[in-house]
Amino acid sequence: MKYLGWDELIPGAILFSFSEEMEKDASEILPEDRPYAETNSHEAYVGDWRVLKPVYNRDLCIDCQFCWIYCPDVSIISRDKKMIGVDYDHCKGCGICVEVCPTNPKSLLMFEERIDNDDALAQWPEKE
Amino acid sequence: MSEMKKIKNLKDFSTSADRFEGANLLCPGCAHSIIVREILNATNDPLILSAATGCLEVCTAVYPYTSWDNSWIHIGFENASTAIAGAEAMYKARKRKGKLPASCEGKSPKFVAFGGDGATYDIGFQWISGCFERGHDMMYVCLDNEVYANTGGQRSSSTPIGASTVTTPAGRVSYGEKMMKKDMLSIMAAHGAPYVAQVAPNKWKDMVKKIQKGFATEGPVFINAMSACTTEWKFAPDDTIAISDLATDSLVFPLYEIENGTKLTITYRPKNKVPVRDYLGAQGRFKHLFKPQYEYLIDEWQKMVDARWEYLQRREEASV
Repeated sequence: MKYLGWDELIPGAILFSFSEEMEKDASEILPEDRPYAETNSHEAYVGDWRVLKPVYNRDLCIDCQFCWIYCPDVSIISRDKKMIGVDYDHCKGCGICVEVCPTNPKSLLMFEERIDNDDALAQWPEKE
Repeated sequence: MSEMKKIKNLKDFSTSADRFEGANLLCPGCAHSIIVREILNATNDPLILSAATGCLEVCTAVYPYTSWDNSWIHIGFENASTAIAGAEAMYKARKRKGKLPASCEGKSPKFVAFGGDGATYDIGFQWISGCFERGHDMMYVCLDNEVYANTGGQRSSSTPIGASTVTTPAGRVSYGEKMMKKDMLSIMAAHGAPYVAQVAPNKWKDMVKKIQKGFATEGPVFINAMSACTTEWKFAPDDTIAISDLATDSLVFPLYEIENGTKLTITYRPKNKVPVRDYLGAQGRFKHLFKPQYEYLIDEWQKMVDARWEYLQRREEASV
């Protein structure tokens, strides 16, 4: 029997994160520029886990990034030290981002899934 | 060795490109992924990772998806540590013989193994001990949620006294788990490990500092990370950070580090110490302790935590 070399083995239990070889490590490439493979969970959807969704109010945000650091699902998108939105494909609706938000009123609040984001912003509570 | 990533504040930190992906199947509000993100973002070096069987492993490698953007391997329940030690040994050998591919030049990969408390305190203990005795240049991170959460909440040797789990249920005749939590950090420090530390996800700065120190250390590093489990500790998913705050501020989970097996340093002293009662009361697994017949245990808990804190402070003072 001919033994297969490491490179000849058929990928069985091996999953690839990226569809092509990258010149740099992933830590130097932002997610939007990465060549994600089909087998990367970035391509999957867990939005249907949510009962309530977090809605983000840019006007009140102070960019403290607490929501970014404590989000368990990599769903708070921050670029250039600014919080720019919520990734609804990966957010499971745990609500940690709302709990850790320090502004008054909060710049992230949980709303029912069926409510449109613009309607949610219109009914934002006043300062307490 | 490559330069350490500079993280002055949270805004700096938030420019990191995450190497851990969403749409993993961890519960909403799980602290595991918060810890993993903080660790992975603490460095820009290439990472070689492994995970022991447990919540983190089954939820981040569900066929046909992987949630890891770096090399990652899972072998068995007990050998996350030895898998990564093997990779580290091979890397060293190839480096010595000059057989590393050109793409590895000028890079200093970090070897990190993740395991739950079941894989660390119980099942993988012998293997971890072996790795630390041989002195591999690796980091072992224990995601300590004090229960076998992946299989439905059985007690582990990390489960603290009084906790109700499916194998130590509280009821008329029992107050739940009867054993004390194993002091894993002291055991690992007793191996003579150059660096061991306890971290919590809510203290991200302390965490990043310790992880970077661990990466800069040559030799085996043990990190015990408190991971509040919304499912088995029984609290609402959005309270993960609040519960973690209670744990660190009540000193149930003190944050400290031990260098070279002896030099102990406390890294976080709460300004306002919270009574242990508040920590216990916030979780469903301790709710039976508030019944009259078991209430004496809350005082016992407080005494135990105070004694432990006293001991840590004395050791820090004496620096032995």
